[in-house]
Amino acid sequence: MKEALLVLAAGAGLALLLVLTLAAFGQDVGTSLRLLADGAFGDKYGIGRTAVRACPLILCALGLTVAWRAGMYNIGGEGQYLTGAVAGGFIYQVVSGVGPVVFHVVGLLGAAAAGAGLAWFAGWLEVKRGVQVVISTILMNFIVLKLVEWLVRGPLQEPNGLLPTSERLSREMMLARPDPQTDFHIGIWVVPIAILATWFWLYRTRAGFLNRAVGENQHAVRAAGQKPAHLRLRAMMISGALCGLAGGIDYMGWAGQISDGFSQEWGFIAIPVALLGALNPFGVAAAGVYFAALFAGSKELERFSQLDSSVVLVVQAAAVLGIVWAASWMKNRQQGGSE
Amino acid sequence: MSRSSPILEARGVSRSFGAIQALDSIDVQIMPGEVHAVLGENGAGKSTLMNIFGGFLAPESGDVLVDSVPAPSGSPRAMRKLGVALVHQHFMLVPEFTVAENLALDQMSDLVGSLEMAEPLDKARRQAGDLGWEIDFDAMTRQLRVGEQQRVEILKALCTEAKIIILDEPTAVLSKDEISEFVRIVRALRDSGKTIVLIAHKLSEVFAMADYVTVLRGGRIVHSGPIGEQTDESLAQAMVGDPPALAQRSLVEAAGVLLRADEIEVKGDRGNLAVRSASLEVRSGEILGLGGVDGNGQIELGEALAGIRPASGVIERPKQIAYLPQDRHKDGLVLSMPLWENLLIGQLDSDLFAFGVLKRSAALHWAADVMDEYEVKAESVHAPARSLSGGNQQKVLAGRTLSQHPGVIIAVNPTRGLDVRAAAFVHDRLLQARQDGAAVLLISTDWDELAALADRTLFMSRGKLQQELLGDGK
Amino acid sequence: MTWILVIIGIFRFAAPVAFAAIGETISEKSGLINIGIEGIMMMAAFTAALVSEVTGSPWLGLAAGAGGGLVMGDIQSGFVIRLAADQIVVGMGLNLLGIGLSRTLYRIRWGGADAIVQVPELPDFGGWADPVVLTLPFVAWGAHWLIFKSRWGLAARAAGEYPEAAESAGFSVQMIRFKAHLLGALLAGVGGAYLSLGISGSFSEELTAGRGFVAIALVTFGRWKPMGVLGAALLIGAAEQLQFWLQGLGLGVPHQLFGALPYVLALAVLAASVQRTRAPQALAQPYIKVK
Repeated sequence: MKEALLVLAAGAGLALLLVLTLAAFGQDVGTSLRLLADGAFGDKYGIGRTAVRACPLILCALGLTVAWRAGMYNIGGEGQYLTGAVAGGFIYQVVSGVGPVVFHVVGLLGAAAAGAGLAWFAGWLEVKRGVQVVISTILMNFIVLKLVEWLVRGPLQEPNGLLPTSERLSREMMLARPDPQTDFHIGIWVVPIAILATWFWLYRTRAGFLNRAVGENQHAVRAAGQKPAHLRLRAMMISGALCGLAGGIDYMGWAGQISDGFSQEWGFIAIPVALLGALNPFGVAAAGVYFAALFAGSKELERFSQLDSSVVLVVQAAAVLGIVWAASWMKNRQQGGSE
Repeated sequence: MSRSSPILEARGVSRSFGAIQALDSIDVQIMPGEVHAVLGENGAGKSTLMNIFGGFLAPESGDVLVDSVPAPSGSPRAMRKLGVALVHQHFMLVPEFTVAENLALDQMSDLVGSLEMAEPLDKARRQAGDLGWEIDFDAMTRQLRVGEQQRVEILKALCTEAKIIILDEPTAVLSKDEISEFVRIVRALRDSGKTIVLIAHKLSEVFAMADYVTVLRGGRIVHSGPIGEQTDESLAQAMVGDPPALAQRSLVEAAGVLLRADEIEVKGDRGNLAVRSASLEVRSGEILGLGGVDGNGQIELGEALAGIRPASGVIERPKQIAYLPQDRHKDGLVLSMPLWENLLIGQLDSDLFAFGVLKRSAALHWAADVMDEYEVKAESVHAPARSLSGGNQQKVLAGRTLSQHPGVIIAVNPTRGLDVRAAAFVHDRLLQARQDGAAVLLISTDWDELAALADRTLFMSRGKLQQELLGDGK
Repeated sequence: MTWILVIIGIFRFAAPVAFAAIGETISEKSGLINIGIEGIMMMAAFTAALVSEVTGSPWLGLAAGAGGGLVMGDIQSGFVIRLAADQIVVGMGLNLLGIGLSRTLYRIRWGGADAIVQVPELPDFGGWADPVVLTLPFVAWGAHWLIFKSRWGLAARAAGEYPEAAESAGFSVQMIRFKAHLLGALLAGVGGAYLSLGISGSFSEELTAGRGFVAIALVTFGRWKPMGVLGAALLIGAAEQLQFWLQGLGLGVPHQLFGALPYVLALAVLAASVQRTRAPQALAQPYIKVK
């Protein structure tokens, strides 16, 4: 009951923040909201737009949730997402002749593995070499970004060697679209599965329980005979796998090719989504859909006003800071002056 | 009362934390030139009173007076100006600073201008010379021994020309030799005209140092008077109220060896050799005590035996070992997690998990049972561990480790910070486990605890196991 | 002759990130990690460009950029100091705020997303170097003095290592951290303003291009010492220069790979050295004073 009220309050708060932000930028709130809603849910195109954006947002945010819950501040969702896509691109070069099913299965597994590998390395640097994940994943984001710029002009470049982009996947090699007119593709079905699986893992398994415990108090976990370093490395690998998977799915289902602008900062924007979802898979799902809708809707906004998706970042910022404020306020009230 | 006018005084001081009334309208008078002991059990309000004297906490009502003039409350700076210096139990020294930097930090009157090291250092050198101390002022503070760090703390107080030095549980961290040296220091300070307020909970030290004693219990003053008029019994009675029955040790025949270590070496957190070739055996049905001052390798040894810290050499132990860590908040509980999940941490290999999947309702039932059996007072199994009192938190830990009737138990300072009743409960449980045939290794800095519980006691110093003290065979 | 130009070029390229990283060093020494540098720099670059364009004075623009940084830092400090909230979470919120706000305002002010707006630039001394970049070595030296040679610095280091000790010596940890944080935000603001007024003479949506994040890494790279941090920033600047130089030569060396080089280098140096130089012990831990 109390939780339902909190969720309701959070939802109302987010809506209010959107209205306030639009008003602050001098927009006609009613018109803007209608444009946003039309762009996000107005028709099947809108719903498709929202769905393809929710997919990387939620998958990356779930990944970050697992890492942050274990006390690993993974900022590298962006790099891991790109790594997953690149892995998909390379796998395409190898198995493209075998047919789409093999490509999709191997490609997605490879994308997840590549993301996991990159995140594992960041985790290893922290637990073995003392380089904080916050720092190393930031650096890795840049490294991967630059590498992608090079790859699409080198080993991954399309056969003609003219454009800085990888070969465009044919329609058969893309993840199937039930309605070819919309962006919606079958890869998006991975998202609800991932939400449920992540929730189950965190709250119903020994491994997930330890994952949460090690983030709250690694000493207690150690005193119980567990190895915090192993738990944290595992968290990073799962985190990277989910982010990498998101990159692979976007490559095969949405973009169809890799270029400089492949990433639209999904791995970065997923951080506030994870935070606003209170690092809980269902919360992440809700926050992911909300912001995916705003991003999708802002395409419509862009056509009729000066605003674009940047305004969504402002709403996100206000929401993150608002939640931090609300959490501190509730904590202070609970403790009534603290010890 | 023919006492003259007090140099430091609390008048009607009250302070609460949340629902807990830490101090309830306290009146204390400290006379110039005396060593005034404030005695009490853990949680009696001693530290709160000291922090109010030092200006670190503000009282909710009442006044602190220095030389009969009300002092501004809640300002450490103001109290220092008035000549009151507080030596905290946890030293207020920056480990990564040199001794000289720590002394300079403490003597800075403001934060303007460039850092001047020569003057504070000269002052400290003079003070150290007067006391006959040799101190390496260029050494990194973290590399000093605890006793040396304490001297630096006292130097800090002397350098600010304190008239009144408040020492919060100063002997808790010292070895036996260091304690007798400390007694001499306190006397020397008094003879040089300082007033000393001493927080303590050990009667023997109070008799060795104090001129006057005040006893706190449950946030109130229950007793006070010159030391000459006190006896062990009267003070103990005042501290504890009606004491609970002492732990009864029944005769148990020690049987086979359950835990054995042969020439093991263990590294500490900084890569130092914390334990040097230690060998010991613990038998079924016995409690082996392991005494010594903090930081001599006991905890590392305990962790190695429990299998949570790597060690070289031979360790023979059963697969399941119950480990009761000393620091409840750090090593024991996950404060933000609910009680039942905190209990679950000790049951990772139990049948509450099937193929790694939690049986949630079974776990909740089991947790509720443990709560009952170990008399944990909490709203429900869903209450966060943070919301429990210290004694109840320790009961959670005890329940978590002991409820499975483990063959080997390693407990580190299991009653530190607990009141008498909660400590007695934990002692009872350890003795019960011994009776049931468990092999118990009790690592403690509290000699009274070891004397009361252990069948045999080893002593640890600088990473080496010392002589075996024969059990007193009670 | 040319090598002087090369060195000045390196300083110019290094300056934005160097100012921000030196500021971050002061902040981290006192125990506060500021992940929100990117947002602060972006906002500062925007206000600097806007004021420079409106008033026609790059100097007013520079002041506005620094002021923009201060305002952002002040907002942040309310959360991380007064509310003692998680510094990393708040920092990410600040990034979103700075990036989102500057991009949106930029669109409202200048229209299209791809417009590159030219604004009045800072003048050069005799065509060599502008005054801001010339102050850089002095700022680094000043930060060094402040942290290691001043009274305030001793207290700030204590606040970063063991705040209770600073408090017990009679100094307010919250006040020390507040000042350190504002100083850091101010320098990040100068760095951001220099991006639009000193280097590019323009503003665009991707102007900072992650320099705020690089600054955070540079603090660790430079081992929490202003001179080391300056050196690390110059190394990055040099690598950027090298990249353009190689591109100009047209040797067919993939210059994007050289673009990755500084980050690879930073990561390698961190992995090799970080255990020997410890971060401030209380870094990122909120300090809550009990009254």
